[in-house]
Amino acid sequence: MGRRVLITGVAGFWGTELARCLERSPEVEYIAGLDVRPPTADLAHTEFIRADIRNPLISKLLPQTRVDTVVHCDVLLVPEPGKAPEQLHDINVIGSLQLLAACEKTEEVRTIVVRGSSAIYGAEPNAPEFFTEDMARRFPFRTRFQRDIGELESYFENFARRFDHVSVTTLRYQPTLGTAIDSPLTRYLQHPVVPTQLGYDPLLQFVHAEDAVGALEAAVMRPVRGPVNVAGAGSVSLSRLLRLAGKVPLPIPAPLFSGALGIGGRLGLGRLPPEAVPWLRNGLTIDGTRLEEEVGFRPRSTLEAVEDFVEELHGRRVLPGLRTAATGNATDRNGRRARARARA
Amino acid sequence: MTPDRHTAQRERARRLRLDVADRSNGGEPAEEPGAGPTPEPAGRPPEQPPRERGAKPLPAAFDFMGALQGAIARGGDLPAALEGAAGALPESVRDVMHSAARRLRGEYSQDEWGFDEEFVEIVYPLFELMYDRWWRVTTTGVEHIPAHDRALLVANHAGVLPWDATMMSVAILKNHPLPRHPRFMVLDWAFRLPWASAFMRRVGGVVASPYNAIRLLEQGHLVMVFPEGTKGAGKPFSERYRLQRFGRGGFVELALRTGAPIIPVAIVGSEEIYPKLGESRLLARLSGAPYFPLTPTFPWLGLAGAVPLPSKWRIQFCEPIDLRAYGPEAAEDRALVFELSERVRETIQSAVYANLLARGSAFL
Repeated sequence: MGRRVLITGVAGFWGTELARCLERSPEVEYIAGLDVRPPTADLAHTEFIRADIRNPLISKLLPQTRVDTVVHCDVLLVPEPGKAPEQLHDINVIGSLQLLAACEKTEEVRTIVVRGSSAIYGAEPNAPEFFTEDMARRFPFRTRFQRDIGELESYFENFARRFDHVSVTTLRYQPTLGTAIDSPLTRYLQHPVVPTQLGYDPLLQFVHAEDAVGALEAAVMRPVRGPVNVAGAGSVSLSRLLRLAGKVPLPIPAPLFSGALGIGGRLGLGRLPPEAVPWLRNGLTIDGTRLEEEVGFRPRSTLEAVEDFVEELHGRRVLPGLRTAATGNATDRNGRRARARARA
Repeated sequence: MTPDRHTAQRERARRLRLDVADRSNGGEPAEEPGAGPTPEPAGRPPEQPPRERGAKPLPAAFDFMGALQGAIARGGDLPAALEGAAGALPESVRDVMHSAARRLRGEYSQDEWGFDEEFVEIVYPLFELMYDRWWRVTTTGVEHIPAHDRALLVANHAGVLPWDATMMSVAILKNHPLPRHPRFMVLDWAFRLPWASAFMRRVGGVVASPYNAIRLLEQGHLVMVFPEGTKGAGKPFSERYRLQRFGRGGFVELALRTGAPIIPVAIVGSEEIYPKLGESRLLARLSGAPYFPLTPTFPWLGLAGAVPLPSKWRIQFCEPIDLRAYGPEAAEDRALVFELSERVRETIQSAVYANLLARGSAFL
């Protein structure tokens, strides 16, 4: 008998892509997708359930699907269509609580995979490089999103403690880089002139866009307990990233940086979440050994992610999936990019 | 270690501009066979070459500016324009331009810690000059540093700015037959500062954290630590060369856990570069610094007061202490850790006294 999987936030980039991957997998028998709006992509084998994750109703819906795996992709750093900025906290925290309540009611659930964030570590000047999974919450949470992520992870930890037969995996993602991804970060990097903080050159780490969902899929197929870092190996400094991308840095004195971003946002130049300010000053790197050794997934390195992103920006990579197809580790990645472009 | 050997060496250095290629150990016989064939270091710093004979500098500069303007007007990006326009310049200058353009395009390597070897080679000549001429450093015992794999260099700490770490690096790069770039632990306060944080990372500094140290050692790096921390760097001039307590002995734990040998290092001379006469609590609190030193020149002369005094230095690398026999579990043994920490401290303290005697006068 195959796996029965439920994906929350199926209309978002992550949910849709994961559903697409799982539809191709012979091990998966049934996929249900939960969201407030239907996915724009054509997911032929996914049963769409229109429901709000914050609504207690999902405790009634979930047991009926008899799923054994729940993938929580509805964790948002930025607003999405149908999910306004002021709802983010509710979706991330209350939504997760409702989901866990529903999982409690569903006897078949054995695996929960959460798409978390590396923001739980905090971008601090006195932080060591390459955080391992056991080093979370060493620094105080400074932003709303960080607090939400911290709260969310503790809910899932508690759940894992209470229900021993369920394995809960939290994937702590570094930012994803790719032109297919429409995020504040990719928009920030697409301006010809990029504001930076004067005198700071943080070490950053990214996940290749084509690997982003791969880690989720790997965690579904090979569940491990506890948090797992997802990051491309190595790091890149912001100055080098901008040079590689051929962008002109605009150094702004650090105390004025956040204000300048606010003004830029008012002028319609794109907004960065508040986490981005310390992140672009101190950087944040995490250690991806556990993902590689226990989950068995090796994402492309940070530098490869950056190089591919730059090539795509400059329009030099005509067929994005060609390289991965040639190396044989990818199935069909061409369609994804084309669709994402169409959406943009 | 006769004085005439040093004189001879200095003489030779003056003649040969004592390059990195010349790896005679200070204090060791210069023609020591153990040093072996001196390997040509990869990628010398691109020093400004003398102008080619016959190439007139001014017209060449005009041609260059013209070509650069033309290329930018045609809509090229800056690195490409620089490179194209460099054709108008003499070949030697062109090479420098090419490497500058390459760096502008981001085509240089940087390891996962942000260490940028090319950048180090660009700033190295300045530090080498400080080493040779300003502080006239005498280095001994560089052969105790293993050519491969991990080792923990433990040194006494003095001077407000990390000149001691810098000079230790130069001493290794200059004198070791197989030079490697050591990494050093920096007080996290430096990583809050603009420029300092970016610079430290590029030259091999990391935030002082046991996690960083263990990762670096496991990757087979040479890691420098200063267990005295700010207590050592911020002690008053009257207490110079008296080693402060070695923290909680964290460095011993690192060595036990990773099996890295401890190499005690005694540095003499760093205490005189900024003779700290007093400190200002108010200014320390205002600037957020761990302490704010008052020296005869700082802050009275402003930034010029930050120029270190030209004391005479000696750096001695002592015999490595191998702790592998204890095994990694011994890191939990508090008593052992304190005992070993004290042993290392005493080794460094006695080496510091010996070198103080050998040095004689502090400035001449």
